[in-house]
Amino acid sequence: MDNVIETRGVYRHFGEEQARVVALDEVSITIERGEFTAIIGPSGSGKTTLLHIIGGLDNPDRGDVLLSGTNIADMSGNALSDFRRDHIGFIFQAYNLIPVLSAEENIEYIMLLQGRPAVERRERVQQMLSMVGLEGLGSRRPGELSGGQQQRVAVARAMASGPDIILADEPTANLDSRTGIALLDVMRALNEEQNMTFVFSTHDQKIMDRARRLIVLEDGRVVDDQRR
Amino acid sequence: MLSVTLAYRNILRHRRRTFLTALSMTGGFVLCTFSFSMLEGSWGGAVDIFTLDHTGHVQVHFGDYHRRPKVHKAIDDIEAVEDALKAHRKVEAFAPRVFAPALAYAGEKTAPVSVIGINAEREASTSRILQKVQEGEYFDASPDLDGYFGAMVGVSVARSLNIGVGDEIVLISQGADGSIANDIFVVRATIGSRTSHDRYAVYLPLSVAQSFLTMGTRVHEYALIVSSPRNNEAIAREINAAVQAVNPELTALPWQVLEETFYTTMKADKQSNHFMMVIIVFLVFIGVLNTVLMSILERTREFGVIRALGSRPIQIIKLVFLETMIMATLSIAAGLVLLVPILYWLVGYGFALPETIEVGGVEFGQMKGIVIPSVIIAPALLIYGFAALVSIPPGIRAASITPRSALSSH
Repeated sequence: MDNVIETRGVYRHFGEEQARVVALDEVSITIERGEFTAIIGPSGSGKTTLLHIIGGLDNPDRGDVLLSGTNIADMSGNALSDFRRDHIGFIFQAYNLIPVLSAEENIEYIMLLQGRPAVERRERVQQMLSMVGLEGLGSRRPGELSGGQQQRVAVARAMASGPDIILADEPTANLDSRTGIALLDVMRALNEEQNMTFVFSTHDQKIMDRARRLIVLEDGRVVDDQRR
Repeated sequence: MLSVTLAYRNILRHRRRTFLTALSMTGGFVLCTFSFSMLEGSWGGAVDIFTLDHTGHVQVHFGDYHRRPKVHKAIDDIEAVEDALKAHRKVEAFAPRVFAPALAYAGEKTAPVSVIGINAEREASTSRILQKVQEGEYFDASPDLDGYFGAMVGVSVARSLNIGVGDEIVLISQGADGSIANDIFVVRATIGSRTSHDRYAVYLPLSVAQSFLTMGTRVHEYALIVSSPRNNEAIAREINAAVQAVNPELTALPWQVLEETFYTTMKADKQSNHFMMVIIVFLVFIGVLNTVLMSILERTREFGVIRALGSRPIQIIKLVFLETMIMATLSIAAGLVLLVPILYWLVGYGFALPETIEVGGVEFGQMKGIVIPSVIIAPALLIYGFAALVSIPPGIRAASITPRSALSSH
């Protein structure tokens, strides 16, 4: 068994005293390499907090977060930045592409951070664009692309660094359902062809239907975990 | 290259704001360069006036003559010293001089004077003495038909003794051997003005002065003009080594040491002007800092995303630094374009002074700039320095944005 993610007793709260909100309460999950997992639950159930903690964007108050065997729960500073850069790909709800860079350059940027040579970067950019079906659109800036195309660029960007896992926080929330499903199909194809591990949050039933595993959160606790 | 592209495109996001910010930087750079050119030009002009009036760029003396002048402290090895000076490729001209205090008589009147023996030909190529002749003609070393040698007197001497061209003047002094020196000379010219340093001087041909002061062929001073006046201190050190090879007791000193008070005053004036320029640029950059900070705040979410992707804080600081430096580079480039006609005018024509400045009987009516590498490089470095400085606080602010907080903000 090859675990990419393992959380053990992860606890996270926000605010103090009367305003104290427990976002995650002793969450322990394991995700294996090549899984295509949706984290679902109502608003405020802790989906985004869990993705942030798994992605090293936030630290838990207690508990362990093992990513490819490395505990990132207590990691900080440059070590955590480097770990995110090399091991985790992110897809955000609002795409969050750099608006002044073209699609190609957005994808290339993360590889620049990794210090890869320019020739290698450019080759990989073309591969990534081809993988997400955006050949010929690489020179366009985000403002010149549709929402679905922008999110595909975000997928390509997430894939470009060669991560162990791609985390996507509500990746289809800003897309119409047809485009959203099409994006999920791209992600699923990458999952199948590249054996890339995807974990995404959603509360869209059509999107959930495409997941192979559903982890259900409620009030910060895992209340259900189904494999299909 | 992608980092530069990103930084460049970032500064073009708000073109109008970037234009206005760059304009203020350009203004600072142009103002700074203009002032610097003007300052260096007038400083150079003043130094020129001063050094070509009498000091030269470098002087050679025997021992401590420059501090405690005595008639007997003279340079003996004339030929060897002159050979050394001629051999030095950075020495363009040199003039030997002798000095002695004397009492001058004319009719019933007397005046204390300073006798200066000069080689007429060499002095003319070393100082502005030819231009300082007010009346009469520049002398030579030959006696008149009656056997009297010529003298050129400072205007205050002429006035005190009530003499003019063609009149006789009697000088009494002490020779280098302790004997009484006295002789009659005929005034060939009046020299300088009432404000010039040599208003109480009586110039004699060198050989005549040497004979008058029983000095043989010895001299008290060599005034030198060097090929690069701005580097005269370094050249003085080279010449010092050359003349000390002839006689270890000889010293070659730059005018900055010989006229320390003048030099210190000019330097203080220059420093206060530099300080003012720094203040101007500082004020310009307060505005720049505000703009850069504003652009950081507007991009909080974007910096959060970049951090989330794995950027280290230092890479964010570098990005902000790069943006500010690109803006500074563009501003300097624009400034250089604007400066071409401005400096052309300043160097070629300059400002006409409301009143002419008279130094030693030579009048100066224009204040001109100068273009030397430091005139451009120093303001450019100042702009870059401040740009680097003001990029640090916004850079740190951007680097301290946490991905979680940035991604939560809408």
